[in-house]
Amino acid sequence: MNQKIFPRNLTARAAVRIAGNPVTTRLESGVGNCFPGLEFDHRNLDRRFFPGLVFNFGVAPPMLAATDDRDPALADRVPSDAPQLSTAVTNAFDQLGQGEWRLTSLAQGGRTIDLQALANTQQFDAASFWRLARSLTREKVTIVLTQTPPTASDRQRSPDDDASPTVPVSLTLTHYRRQYVDPDSGVISAAYLPGELTQSLCSPWMHDFRDCACNYWASNHPDIALGADESFPAEGPAGADPDLAVRPLDWLRADRDSRAAATDSPGGNNAFRLHHYQINQEWTSLAFVLEGRENPGLYAPGFEPLAEPFPNAEALAEELVSLCGLEHVVLLEYLYAYYSLKRPEDFANPRNSADTLFVRHELLGIAVSEMRHLRWANQLLWTLAQRGLIRDRGPALEPGRKVPTANGERDRQLRPLALPALEDFIAVERPSGTLDGAYARVVATLRAGYPEPLLQLARQIVAEGMDHYNRFREIGIVLRSWPGVRSVTESPWLRAVQIGSPQSAGGALDLYRGILHDLADAYRRGDMEDAGKILDARQQMMALDEAAEQLAANGIGVAFF
Amino acid sequence: MTTAQPWYHLLAGPQPAVLVVPGSMLFALDGDAFAALDRGDLGALSELRSYILAAPVGPGELPPVTALSLNVAQACNMSCSYCYADEGRFRGTARLMERDVAFRGIDWLTANAAGQAVTVGFIGGEPFLNRALVHECVEYARTVADRAGVVVRFSITTNATLLREDDIRLLRENRFAVTVSIDGGPFHNRHRRLRSSKESAAAAVSGIAPLLTDPGGARVAARATVTRNDLDVIARLAWLREIGFPEAGVAPVRTSPRPDLIFREEDWPTFLENMIAAADIELDRVEADGQPFFSNLWVGLREIHRGAARALPCGSAASYLSLDAIGNFYSCHRTIAAPGFDMGSLDYGIDAAARRAFLESRHVDSQEPCASCWARYLCGGGCHAEVAAAGCAGCDYIRGWLDHCLRTYLYVLDRHPRLLANGDR
Repeated sequence: MNQKIFPRNLTARAAVRIAGNPVTTRLESGVGNCFPGLEFDHRNLDRRFFPGLVFNFGVAPPMLAATDDRDPALADRVPSDAPQLSTAVTNAFDQLGQGEWRLTSLAQGGRTIDLQALANTQQFDAASFWRLARSLTREKVTIVLTQTPPTASDRQRSPDDDASPTVPVSLTLTHYRRQYVDPDSGVISAAYLPGELTQSLCSPWMHDFRDCACNYWASNHPDIALGADESFPAEGPAGADPDLAVRPLDWLRADRDSRAAATDSPGGNNAFRLHHYQINQEWTSLAFVLEGRENPGLYAPGFEPLAEPFPNAEALAEELVSLCGLEHVVLLEYLYAYYSLKRPEDFANPRNSADTLFVRHELLGIAVSEMRHLRWANQLLWTLAQRGLIRDRGPALEPGRKVPTANGERDRQLRPLALPALEDFIAVERPSGTLDGAYARVVATLRAGYPEPLLQLARQIVAEGMDHYNRFREIGIVLRSWPGVRSVTESPWLRAVQIGSPQSAGGALDLYRGILHDLADAYRRGDMEDAGKILDARQQMMALDEAAEQLAANGIGVAFF
Repeated sequence: MTTAQPWYHLLAGPQPAVLVVPGSMLFALDGDAFAALDRGDLGALSELRSYILAAPVGPGELPPVTALSLNVAQACNMSCSYCYADEGRFRGTARLMERDVAFRGIDWLTANAAGQAVTVGFIGGEPFLNRALVHECVEYARTVADRAGVVVRFSITTNATLLREDDIRLLRENRFAVTVSIDGGPFHNRHRRLRSSKESAAAAVSGIAPLLTDPGGARVAARATVTRNDLDVIARLAWLREIGFPEAGVAPVRTSPRPDLIFREEDWPTFLENMIAAADIELDRVEADGQPFFSNLWVGLREIHRGAARALPCGSAASYLSLDAIGNFYSCHRTIAAPGFDMGSLDYGIDAAARRAFLESRHVDSQEPCASCWARYLCGGGCHAEVAAAGCAGCDYIRGWLDHCLRTYLYVLDRHPRLLANGDR
């Protein structure tokens, strides 16, 4: 779309989902709430626990980091002795500005803690001292600040002091522990500067983005993503490596041009990732990931295939019935092709074995997925009927008679998986082909006010259709590169299978009819939660698989139609 | 049935736009997008349609009744020429509501509101003819609502000629929504006469003046009736503003015992022109002082802003009912004693079937010409009482007015978005 439309009123704004922003980017989706402290760093509150002073709790004992004569707490008039205490603090500022001062003692409520002594034991880390300061109450607190002895180099600069012993200078100050938050308004004390409370938090696009220990940022960036689109033209010369389209890449890889597949463990990928310091400098090279794919350039939102919705629910239902027939007939064609394949153990050459294993696995996977589509398409029908949106048509379990091709349609056919048959299978699953186009119309219709689950179901079918196409193409790559094969008429991966007669494959056909019978019963009830019949059908599918495999080994294919 | 229903409405002009009818979603368009939609480009239409998410507007569950108006006086001290209420008598004899009926109505409302805030309305006739009962009802409703733990609000429609100091105090202290029936302009006195045949303007103005000067918690608005022999809008609004009303709206006469005052087909275009002219003046003024006044415009703009999409014109028979002086429920204050609009009684209870049947029959998708009109969810199908009496009239006017409001909305949203957010109480 080159045209632009801009949502203006509230309902329009709510309806437009901005492409590219997944729900995980929304505030309410953040895991931050599970990690108290990620909103701000508590240590930044406590470092100003004493009016006029700012401490660094990163060392033990804590170090005075700065004095702050603009601290509003120094101007407090209550309690009545506050002004006098403030004066003592401000009077010490000049002295505290000289050298390095440590917080060596805390006293409150009659209890005194010698921080220096604790530090000397070396059993307490810096965080322990912060916790001590954190446990102070709002009452009056007395602190001792001790100047650390000047270093040798300092002494060289002050020859006059050479003879004097290095006696630590201490200062004792008393004030009320800061009121961090106004009890009435909840407003944070104005002593804190903008940004001060969030200082030191981990940040995106900085080095802890790589492997943040609490998995906060790690959960907010992708581990793997598919490569950018332009690296994989769908057809053409680059089709030499069509696997690129579905190859997961490590998103944090240092070599941005690398198309090496990510390993299945973070450890395996670590060595090839941007180093921590590199992220600080090169974070802009990390691609945005939209719809699971890296987008290094300008993102053009891909709307769902534009399709004309059906005029009404009945027309939608008619199409769904026809789609059920189509799903059914192709799954039978795929199953027949599946049983035509030799088994891995039929080959001596390990590569042939491995290839056969792959092809059988993929083809069966697609057939099973089509079975799921048959069920989902039926589910759309029964749900629409149960909600009174269409008349009840009963289960749609009649296989279709025609199958779409690249330019029209063909009669249904039970064929072994030779390359011409495979081309036909690819054609029916091709994106924006007949099947895909029909579902696009279903999706467009369901978008307009039908129950959301139905829309999701239809979208799922469309998404899996895309997957079938890719898997068939991969099967094609394997079969076309079969060693020694020079023509499409050669198919060394096939068994010698002929379509059997109703008698020779009678047992398998009975099972197939039994499966349909049970599915019809279950679909009629339309309630998968109470689906004994589905369970029966599944068990018969196992039996059918065994029977069909046995028949194929004897050269007999099951005449499903 | 749904295939013929228009689902979008294009707005040509310097800022092209399109209203998507379900959900009342408004999109601005660039020139290419407008051209594509205008020529029916399948891709553009499909994209636009993809934004429709909401389920179709339907009557759904019957909501609890949370507003009840009490016809405390089916009588009036005025005899306005166009009065739909037969000078308050509703084709019966003049009568006042008794305390027992009013209190039972309030009991019923608070008990059936499902814990939601309730509104007790006072209506007539002229409600202040039964002044003592209005005062007693307010006190009683407060007590009952407190006991039930629900918030109670009050509203009243009055001609303001009988207001006394204690009434003003009542309105202020109880944060009444006060609607004053007052026409403004030179024709006010011609149509709005006191029973004594005297002119009413002076009495109304002096009655309402203290509340306009110091409204306290009350919110006061003027509602002016426009007859076909005086289609002016601008002068009326100026007059009402001069008096000191903070907001005012106008409504055309569609039903009346006097046929010569009812709008005819040829009147609507002039009225539309006058409304648009008044809206333009209003907008100029608001840009200067930021004080919205002409409620027809601002209610329209805020409804568009919210994307209000309703299958019915108002809450009548759904969340709102009216109780007549002797304890019968009607769909609203305009349909008192009208056959076909009765919804039960205090003695026999609410007739849920009648409510549902009424609402379903009036659903814009289930009746023509509404079902095939792009403005159906913004309009809601027109006042039940008026449509029942006189059929749909002035639909072109309504479409023209909404069209103007949609364009004005785009302008206001850009320049004065704050004005769209406030105004709700």
